[in-house]
Order: sequence, then structure tokens, then C-alpha cells
Amino acid sequence: MDNQRCGSFEYSTPLVYLGLKLISKLFHKKYQIAVTLVIGGVLLALWKPFVLIEGLQVAGLYAAIALPMALILGIVGIINLAHGDFMMLGAYLAYRFTVYTGADPLVAIFPVSLGLFLIGMATYRGTIKYMHGAPELIQLLLTFGIAIILQQLANLLWTSHPVSIHVGYASASATIGSFTFGTYGFVYVAAAILVFIGLFLFLRRTRIGQAALATGQNPIGAKLVGINIDRIYLLIFSISIALVGAMSVLFLTRHSIFPHVGGIFTLKSFCLAAMAGLGNLTGILWASLILGLAESFVKSFMGYAGWADIIFFLLIIVVIMVGSYRRRVT
Amino acid sequence: MKGKSVILIYVACTLILLVGFGGWAIAQRAPAGEPIKLGAVLPLADITGAQAAKAMRLAVKEINLKGGVLGRPLEVIVMDDEMKPATGATALDRLATVDKVDVFIGGMASGVHLGQIPTLKKHAKVTVWIGAASHKCEEAVGPDIDWYFHIHPWDYLQGESYREGWTAINKKYPHVKIDNWFVAYEEGAFGTASYKMSLDLYKDWIKIKGESFKSALLGGGDYRAVLRHAKEANPDVFLWLGYEADAMGFAVQAKEIGYVPPLFIGSPPGWPPGFGKSPLSEAVTLYGMWAPAIKEVSDVSKHFWEAYIKEYKEEPITYFCPLGYANVYVVTEAIKRAGTIEKAALISALKKTEYKSPMGEIITFSPSKIIKNQGIRKQKIIQYQGGEQQVIWPFEFATATLKYPFPSWERR
Amino acid sequence: MKNWRYIIYTFITAIAILFPFYTGTYLQHTASTILIYLSLALSWDMLLRAGQISFGIAGFFGIGGYAAALTHLRWGIDPFLSIILGGLAAFFIAFLLGLVVLHLRGLYFAIVTLAIAEIFRVIVRNLHSLTGGPEGSVLPSAIFNGDPSKVYWLVLTLAIITIIVSEVFQRTRIHFATTTIRNDELVAKSSGINIFKYLVFIFAITSALQGMIGASYTHQYAFVTPEETFHIHFTLLPIAMCLLGGMYTTIGPVVGALVLGTIADYLKLQLPYGHLLVYGIVIVVVILFVPKGIVGTIKEQLERRK
Repeated sequence: MDNQRCGSFEYSTPLVYLGLKLISKLFHKKYQIAVTLVIGGVLLALWKPFVLIEGLQVAGLYAAIALPMALILGIVGIINLAHGDFMMLGAYLAYRFTVYTGADPLVAIFPVSLGLFLIGMATYRGTIKYMHGAPELIQLLLTFGIAIILQQLANLLWTSHPVSIHVGYASASATIGSFTFGTYGFVYVAAAILVFIGLFLFLRRTRIGQAALATGQNPIGAKLVGINIDRIYLLIFSISIALVGAMSVLFLTRHSIFPHVGGIFTLKSFCLAAMAGLGNLTGILWASLILGLAESFVKSFMGYAGWADIIFFLLIIVVIMVGSYRRRVT
Repeated sequence: MKGKSVILIYVACTLILLVGFGGWAIAQRAPAGEPIKLGAVLPLADITGAQAAKAMRLAVKEINLKGGVLGRPLEVIVMDDEMKPATGATALDRLATVDKVDVFIGGMASGVHLGQIPTLKKHAKVTVWIGAASHKCEEAVGPDIDWYFHIHPWDYLQGESYREGWTAINKKYPHVKIDNWFVAYEEGAFGTASYKMSLDLYKDWIKIKGESFKSALLGGGDYRAVLRHAKEANPDVFLWLGYEADAMGFAVQAKEIGYVPPLFIGSPPGWPPGFGKSPLSEAVTLYGMWAPAIKEVSDVSKHFWEAYIKEYKEEPITYFCPLGYANVYVVTEAIKRAGTIEKAALISALKKTEYKSPMGEIITFSPSKIIKNQGIRKQKIIQYQGGEQQVIWPFEFATATLKYPFPSWERR
Repeated sequence: MKNWRYIIYTFITAIAILFPFYTGTYLQHTASTILIYLSLALSWDMLLRAGQISFGIAGFFGIGGYAAALTHLRWGIDPFLSIILGGLAAFFIAFLLGLVVLHLRGLYFAIVTLAIAEIFRVIVRNLHSLTGGPEGSVLPSAIFNGDPSKVYWLVLTLAIITIIVSEVFQRTRIHFATTTIRNDELVAKSSGINIFKYLVFIFAITSALQGMIGASYTHQYAFVTPEETFHIHFTLLPIAMCLLGGMYTTIGPVVGALVLGTIADYLKLQLPYGHLLVYGIVIVVVILFVPKGIVGTIKEQLERRK
């Protein structure tokens, strides 16, 4: 045995040990899903790169809009059927702001978020606050009424004709070899991650956030320990609407808006929240990813775009069924 | 104090008398007698219906200022169909039985009209309709109806006219290639019907490849997959059939994936107001019935444009606006020709219509595939140039020549 | 004491049946539309009583509509028979699907029913040769040639059938079973109630009713298209009416449908340009005053007075 080999053996043992540990972890149940997804992602990147890129971007948009809804659902406990319509309202306010000031639309994020925070507060104080004793379905009806009001208000004020803003960077693209793809869409992915991390830190690391979590899990218990649950509900609701407002500005930069543009996002957010499991914020990210990729995947086959909707809804059914089966068995 | 209030009372009385007398005098000028009533059903919540209703009221106002129809005042009663077939049908019932209108006018969506046709047949009133392009509506009306006058071109008539238009353009400018087309169509009734129509009408003329997409209006808005397939197919012409909400998206996303077809055509029923301001709009070709630029080549159009803006302080946005105006005039001119609102006489008078419309063309009625009285048969080919919609074809209304090929997205 | 209730019901039914004799076409047409939504609202409530929220009304409404339209078009089946066939088609499809999804509860079940309804719509839209695709199919003529009184009686008959079924559910042991299931499934199970069996049965029956109503709508307007026949407002409006009127009762959805239906119509005539906005405001305001629904709040008040 010469010195070299002795020395390498000394350093290699912990490395090998580490390596073995990692490999055994890979087969651990928790990481199976992650590993499958990573392998799947790599394969997809090689076979249909655009599906990966565009699916990711679409997933980011869905997730960024669905996260605030899941927040309300998990903590305040109501399904906000006016969710997408608040986004529509924010988009219109951002549009008016941009037209009036001539500034870049992204600047509107600050006033619009603030504005929607206040609108969320007013909505909660004016209506939802009184609904806590009522059956959940009645709360649903209330938010449905609010949704109608928002849509019709937008229609009366700004007509049903779609409006859009053109900003040069919204169609920015990059070319790698023979692949030309849009890069602005990654803004949505960044937004989703930001919102998620922000909410995560807020809920776990701040006093108010922890109180909110407690309220969501057990309102009566929270009240007993002295948490002002009414204030918590007000705050969470307003934060959620404000987040939606911020997202609406990003939405405006790349989409045409019209009074009914929000409906589909309420639906998709609702479905994602159910898919992820109620109150599960991390699940929303995964669910959006699965749905976004699935949609893009189906659309990439020419002639099958008409079936993309079915894939969306089938996936929802499958995930919910599997989730419920797991819950019943365990 | 007392003196002042007495003077005030005198002034008030004088003013009231003046206003009253003046109003009476004006009322004397207005046509008197039992009004002639037109019943219109329109989607008032939608920009098309809302402006069509306003245009109709403008026409009514103009006509009443000139003494009404046959010496009687003209009245149009508008009901909202809420874009629902059932509501549209019920509206007709109300107009017929409660408001007792003489003629039915209006209309926009084909889906709503399908639901209205049984009700129309039940009342069998003279109907002059500006909506519904789907041939399914023509099927539902059937061949035996002579009181039904349809102004809006059916989908297959529109398709035939585009063929006529492009053939004419290709003849005049042989460098404009139109042999291979890629058609992206929205997956609903509107897009699918138009696409199927094209396949049928154009099969011995051009080669078509097509793919469906979900319109932004119905929750979609991501066209990159379909644009990529178009890019791969590399056609001479790229055409998308969808709604206004898709206009910006197609341009932005085509730029994003770097797709520049030689000819880029969009065919939504209308265009977003800001679209022209965007540099991406340059040389985007579109199909339509009317563009504001037509006021340069038609005095009726110019009069309508100016009168509408003066009355409502807003610009007409979709072609349903001038169409609504035309709707009222077609009916009232026929009533004047007939000298009566009696049904049979009115029908023969309507058949003789030759109305110079604010869309440019002269409206006449002739049989289409199934029905007897079809009005407009041709659409126009229009192109955005310098932020304005310019008419390219028919050449008699042309306000500009086709800009070809489609310039690259970057250098704009 | 209880007899006066029956007298009132008979009186109301008589008025409803005689309705076409003292009203015009427009009111008959409006009443037909309200009755359609009334029946849908009531059928939705019947499943709600067992604790299950469905967002799939439009799905079975559309299945019934298409089944009726296609059997009438292709095999020349008599319109009445096709309406029953529409109900049967909805029944069987609901039964089979119910076996699979009725293990779900709450929001999950609701979302799945919504997904199912949308899947039906997309399938129908894509099967061009069978259904006519996105453009749909046109029927040669409307039922009764569009005679509004006869259409009204048809729709009224279906509404009465729905009311009868609802009352049967309320007065037999089905009522006990559903209430127990809704309140506490554990108690229900230990009482020997086969929860699954009840849920599947109720789901199938209510879907059949929705199918028949959809079939009658199709024959009234003589066309089917995926966008119109499976439209989400056939899900949203009945739910709104039922919640407004009061859940878990027969009279609740009826009251809700009549109230919202007449308000909508009245507003439409008064405010051609803003009626939907006021409609939304009405819903919000009424809910704030009657958080348990109209009938529920009235009952509460009556009980308080005692």
C-alpha cells in the first residue's frame, strides 16, 4: 500500500458513505415523486422543449393566481368566487393608470396592490364579515353576487370591448440554436415563487402569520387563546386581494382584458386548490405544474388541442380521487 | 324682500311659459299620430349591441326630425337578449304581444338567433335581421319563409367573397402568393364553422392545413403551440379565426416565437381599440365589413361617422354600429315605398331595397342557399397601415394598396 | 290545522295550471323559463339534503338535451318519448359515474361534478359526426310548433313532478336517512344506513330530472350546441336560487326561483343597461339580511316568536 492510496482511502470513505446515503434517500417514498418529476422533466426537455418552457410559464401564471385563493380558503375558510374578478378589476385599474400617466404598466403594481388591498378590506368589512355564522354555501352565494357586481360594474364603466397594452418587453424572446421561445413568461414563474416564499415566511416566521395559521386550523381555539380572529380574517382577505392585484398588473402586460376575463381564473384556481388539498400551499405549486405541463403537452400534438380541456378536467378528477382514496385508506 | 321675491316669481313664470310654448312649438313640428314601432333585440351588455342600439336611436332621431315615416313618428324599442337564446326569444314575445311592434330588427349572435327562430316563426312578423352568420340559422329558418330578410352575410357567403377578393388581388399583384394556407380557428361554433366552410369552399382553389385553439374570450389565450405548427408548415398565408380578445395575443406570441408569415390575416368580429397604436399591428390583414376609413370614399359613411360622434361623443368601434343604423333605414325606406306597413306590401317593397349603406355597399336582397331574402353577400379585405384600418378590397372602396410581404416583427 | 296548507297548495297549483288562460305569450314564456330554473334548483337541493354539493347540473341538463335531440333527429322518436329518453340517459350515466365518485365529500365532490360536466361538453363538442360538433344540431321544428301555452304546461308538468319527488323524499324514510347522513355520517352508519346506496340513488334520480328538463328546453328552442346546452348558467343560477330561497326544503328553492326569476325580469324591463348589476346587488343585499335563505330566516323568526 503506497501513501497515495492510503490517503485517498481516508477521504473516499466519507464520500462513499455520503453517496450511499443519497442513493438510499432516492428510493425513499417522499423523494420518489420528486425524482420522477425531474427525470420526466429532463426527458421532456429533450423531446419537446417548448412544452417544458411554455408549460412552466403557464403553470407559473396559474399558481401565482391560485395561491391567494388557497390562502383565503385555508384560513378564512370561504371559497371566493369573485377571485378572478378582483384580478380583472386590478387589471382595469392598472390599464387606466397606465393610460392616464403614460408610465410603464409595471409601475402600476404599487398603486394597484394598495388599491385592491383597500377594496379587499372594504369588501370584507361590508359583506363577508357578517357571514361567519352562515352556512358555507351561503358564503359562496355572497361571493357569487360580488362577482356579478364586479363584472357588471366593469362592463358599465369600460364596455365589453377587450383592451390591451403593448409593451415591447412582453414579447421578448431568446434564441438558443434553432429554438426561439418567449422569455417574458418566466416572470409569472418568478411571481409564483415569490408569492409562495413570501406567504411561507409570513405564515411561519411572523407572529401575525402564525396567529393566522392557528385561526385557520382552529378558529374557536384561536379565539380562546386571545387571537382577534376578526382582524386576522380581515388582514388575510385583504392581503389575498392585494396579491391578486399585483398579479393582475403582470397579467395585463401580456393579455387582452375584458369584464369576463376573470371567470376562468376563478375556476382554475378553485380546481387547483381542490387538487392540492385544502389549505396546502405547496400542493398548489405542484398541481399548477402538472396542469400547465399537461395542457402544453396535449396542445403540442397537432389536431388534439380540442382535447386539452378534457386532460385538464380528467387530471383534476384523477388527483382528487387518488387523494381521497389515500385519505380513506390511511 | 317681498319685492325681490315677486320679481323672481315673474321671471320664473315667464321662463316656464317660454319653455312650455317653445316645447309645444317644437312638438308641433314633430310627426303626429300612432307611432310606427320597430322592435329590436340586441346584446346590450356587449359593445356590438350597445352601439348598434345607439346607432338605431340615431337613425330614428334623424328620421323623426325629417317628419317621421308616412307622417307618423318612428319608435324603436330595444330589448336585451343577454347573449342567451331563451332571453332573446322571450324578448321577441314581449315586443310582439306587449309592445305590439310592427317589424322585428336587430340581432347579433348566431347561437342566440337559433333559439329565436321558433318564436319568429310563431309571430311571422316582417323581420329584417342584422345578426347571425351561421348557416345553421339559415337551415333553421328554411326555404318557405318570405317575411324574413337577412342583412348580415352568411358564413359561406363571407368565405366565397374572400376567395373572390384574394383571387382579384393575386391577379392584380401576381407576386402575392396564396397557394398554401394555415388556418388557426377557435374551437367553438364560430371558428369551427368558418374553418369547415373554408375547407369546403376552397378545396379546388388553395391547400389548407388547420388547427384549433382555445380563444382568450373563453379562457384560453396561449397560441404558441398552434403558431409553432404554422411555422413548421411554412404556408404562404397564415389566418386566424377568433375573437377580439385574441388579436393582441396572436401578434405578441408570433413575434415571441419568431414567426413571420408572408401574409398574416386575422378574422375576429372586431379589433381592440389600442391595437392600431401598437407597432405590431402594421400590415396585419383582416376581414371585416367596415372600417372607419370608408368615410373617405362614401358620403353616407362620413355622415354616419360624424353624426354618431356628435350625438354620443364616442367613436363607432365595431361594424354593428353602422349596421344598426342601416337596419332602421332599410326598413323605413321600404315602408315609405310601400306607403303602408301592411305585411304583404311591405315584403314586396323590401324586396326592392337599394340602400346606400354606411358600410359602403348598396344593400339589395336576393336569394341565398336556402332563404329568399339575403342582403349583404360580400365582406371586405382590410389591412392595418400606420395604425389605421385601410380597405384593400373591393377595389371600389379601397383606401390603400396591400402591403406585402409582412414585415419582420423586429424592425418596426 | 294542517289542512289549510293543502288548501293553499291546491289553490296555487290551480292558478299555475290556469295561468295561460289569463296571461299573454310573453308572461307564459317568462314563466316557462322560471319553471325550468325552479325544477333545476329543486333537484339540486335534493342532493344537497344528503350533504353533497353538485356543480354538475349543466352536465346532466346537457346530456338530456342532446339525447332527446339526437334520438328525435336520427330515429324520428316522438318528442315526448325523447324527453323521457333524455331523463333515462342522464339517469344511467349519473348512476355509473356515481358509483365511482360518490365516495368523495364536500368540495372535492363539487369540483369533480364540475369537471364531469365540462368533460361532457368537450366530448360532445369533439364528436362532430354524432352531435354536429361545435355548431350543434338544429331540430326540424319546436315542440307544439312553439305554442307557448302548451310549452308552459309541459314545463309545469315537469316542475310538478320534481316537486312531488322532492316531497316524497321529504316524507319517507329517505328524509331521515339524508338528514342523518348530512349531519353525521358516523351516526348514520351506526344506525345501519347504507350511505353509499342512498347517495347513488339520489344522485341518479336528480340527474334524471335534470336530464328531462334539459330535454324539454331543447325541444322548446329546437336546437342543441355544446356552448348553449351545457352552459354554466344552468348550474350557477339554480344554485343561487336555491340558496337564496332556503336549503333543505321543497318550498325554499321554489321561493328562490320565483323571487330571483321575477326580479331579473322586472329589472330587465326597467333598466335595459344596468339590470345585471342591480341583480348582483340584490343577491348580496338579500343574503346579508337573510343569511339562512328567505325561507330559513322566516322559519327562524317564526320559531323565535313562539
